[in-house]
Amino acid sequence: MPSFSHFLHTFINSKDLFIDAALLTLKLTVVSILIGILFGLFFALLKISRIKVLEYISNAYVFLVRGTPLIVQIFILYFGFSGIFLIPDFWAAALALAFHNGAYIAEIFRGTIQSIDKGQMEAARSLGMTRILAMRRIILPQAFKRALPPLGNQFIIGLKDSSLAAFISMNELFNVSTTLGSNNFDEMTYLLIVAVYYLVLVAVLTMLVSLFEKRLAVSDR
Amino acid sequence: MNEREMIKIENLQKSYGSLHVLKDINMSVYESEVVCLVGASGSGKSTLLRCLNFLEKRQGGRISIRGEEINPDTHNINNVRQSVGMVFQHFNLFPHKTVLENVIEAPTMVKKIPKDQAIAEAKELLQKVGLEDKANVYPSKLSGGQKQRVAIARSLAMRPDIMLFDEPTSALDPQLVGEVLTAMKELADEGMTMVVVTHEMGFAREVADWIVFMDDGKIIERNRPNEFFDHPKEQRTKEFLQATMLK
Repeated sequence: MPSFSHFLHTFINSKDLFIDAALLTLKLTVVSILIGILFGLFFALLKISRIKVLEYISNAYVFLVRGTPLIVQIFILYFGFSGIFLIPDFWAAALALAFHNGAYIAEIFRGTIQSIDKGQMEAARSLGMTRILAMRRIILPQAFKRALPPLGNQFIIGLKDSSLAAFISMNELFNVSTTLGSNNFDEMTYLLIVAVYYLVLVAVLTMLVSLFEKRLAVSDR
Repeated sequence: MNEREMIKIENLQKSYGSLHVLKDINMSVYESEVVCLVGASGSGKSTLLRCLNFLEKRQGGRISIRGEEINPDTHNINNVRQSVGMVFQHFNLFPHKTVLENVIEAPTMVKKIPKDQAIAEAKELLQKVGLEDKANVYPSKLSGGQKQRVAIARSLAMRPDIMLFDEPTSALDPQLVGEVLTAMKELADEGMTMVVVTHEMGFAREVADWIVFMDDGKIIERNRPNEFFDHPKEQRTKEFLQATMLK
């Protein structure tokens, strides 16, 4: 184990590299979760569409993503598809993460949409609203609110999963820490440092999510 | 009394799988009439009401609204529903919207009425049900009776010709029942055509033009309130009334 003063010293000296890497990690996570939310919403709506073919497509998507390791998905997108059309590294990683998170987010949305009391849909329909309008104006806003805690959770999982982008040579947090560690023959110190960065990012995210939840809870007060 | 036929039900059949819940129902409701559907739980009265708003799919028979036979597969049900308001036992207010937003939602989004006009009309309706001071409150802040009055205002905002009430006071604390019944009575006095599923026999006697008693998916007796309560024709009606009065 490195001594505390050595750790602190290394921490301060490496901060510029790590801050850049943290920003890339954050960018990768935010982009992939936002696209993942779109994927998730799309496939959740397919699943509740009551149209068998669309349900099957949605089920197949979730099955594929949940059934294969994320690292395999990243490699397929990076090595497999980059031969067919050129994807910049960042987008290969972001899209793979989005595709992956989307499946879990689809399940989150499906669950929260189905948890909304069916009287809500009936009331909306009885007022002459179409199913789509009722979904957009009445069901989805309530479902989104309920989805927030699990989405926050998925955000945190996504942040940590983004470390796998190191394997397609993205200079995100984990890659920077292992590179610096082996260059300086000091793996342990840099791994501890990167753990601190992840902890801080997760703590900030957790705070933001709970702040957001409180703001959305106005109608429950 | 106006003789315009607002609702006509002919040979209505409804079943859930092998469970036959409505057996050959025939019934008409004329303009400005108030019809109270009474009967024990499971007698099919709520299902009948929900069929009138096409929330339940029927297996047979015909339903005509204002003289026009409605086939849910070919008609635009959303247009029909705009003229048939529905109030639910559990209110079903939209919890993420304020009272005012609840009331203007359908007029602005479905009828595309300009927002200022919808707000002005909504405020009038809220005043009518005595809740103008609650316009900007979220439903979670309201009592059950207040919620149900908002639900009535929300339905009325679509300017329906017919109002359906599905046990509107059954989920309320006893002391809150009166305020909802008062609002409904006022509506009846204004000439609204109403079909009310209810256990409130006092209300039925006072406000209804007709009482329809259902049992086991069939209409057993349709009678004027005084006759129904004082001189019921059918044995099953007598038994039902006896059981109700004992409560």
